[in-house]
Amino acid sequence: MNSPGLEHYLIFAALLFCIGLYGIVTRRNLIGMLMSVEIILNAAALNFVAFHRFKFGGDVAGAMFPLFIIAIAAAEAAVALAIILALFRRKRNLDVLSDNLLKN
Amino acid sequence: METLIFYTTAFFILAAAGYVVTTMNIFRAAIGLTGVLAGIAGLYLLMNAQFLSAVQITVYVGGIMVLIVFAILLMPEASMHLRRENPKWFRFIGGVSAALVFAVLAYSITAFIGAQDAAGTSLEPAAASIREIGLALLSPGGNGFVLPFEFVSVVLIAALIGATTIAKRTPNPETKEEQE
Repeated sequence: MNSPGLEHYLIFAALLFCIGLYGIVTRRNLIGMLMSVEIILNAAALNFVAFHRFKFGGDVAGAMFPLFIIAIAAAEAAVALAIILALFRRKRNLDVLSDNLLKN
Repeated sequence: METLIFYTTAFFILAAAGYVVTTMNIFRAAIGLTGVLAGIAGLYLLMNAQFLSAVQITVYVGGIMVLIVFAILLMPEASMHLRRENPKWFRFIGGVSAALVFAVLAYSITAFIGAQDAAGTSLEPAAASIREIGLALLSPGGNGFVLPFEFVSVVLIAALIGATTIAKRTPNPETKEEQE
């Protein structure tokens, strides 16, 4: 076995992305969907780092994007959980299929 | 040795991620997600990106995970025990679509990236040092990131204010009508 290179990391990130995609499609709980989104964001950030390390010789931009992805993910998680909490106060459940709040 | 660490970590992360998306107890899913995030930090370390690894641990494992666990504990009856109400074909469709996406991704990665890699267009493997990252974060101009850096701070402030405003306890119009 040769030591892991670009392709190894890319295939791994693709697998992780698809697991997150499966989670988003099949989950009915809002918090569960949020966790799947976090998995997908991590897979994307891993791609950036892999390209930066193995293809572009340590270009700083490749290390910068994961930083911003992490910062935006933190903001996104805070806002999403606040919305989920407000929704829960009103509906008492977090099931996406039984939720017709926006319809009425 | 690096190969062994990579495959062990990768397998651990994939197993934890699979647990996150399939378990019916959201709290256990959160614990699994902690494993995924910590494993990714380990992969960053394996790629010599120490700063990113530290940021991943502090922000994701230390910040976002605590937020998610708090949210779960604030609304336990809605998230602890999920019933598997999805029809089987729903999960089937999810699995098929995920597998199709993976097939496309894997094909393009091996066909294009792998060919480019073999052609020798890649530079020597290296990683940005913490010093380079810090300088780039605060320098204006072509290779600098000071503008997005400042924008991110504004976005974070806006998100925090927005989150507290949204989550604030407001009188529920529906229940008020019932009381009157």
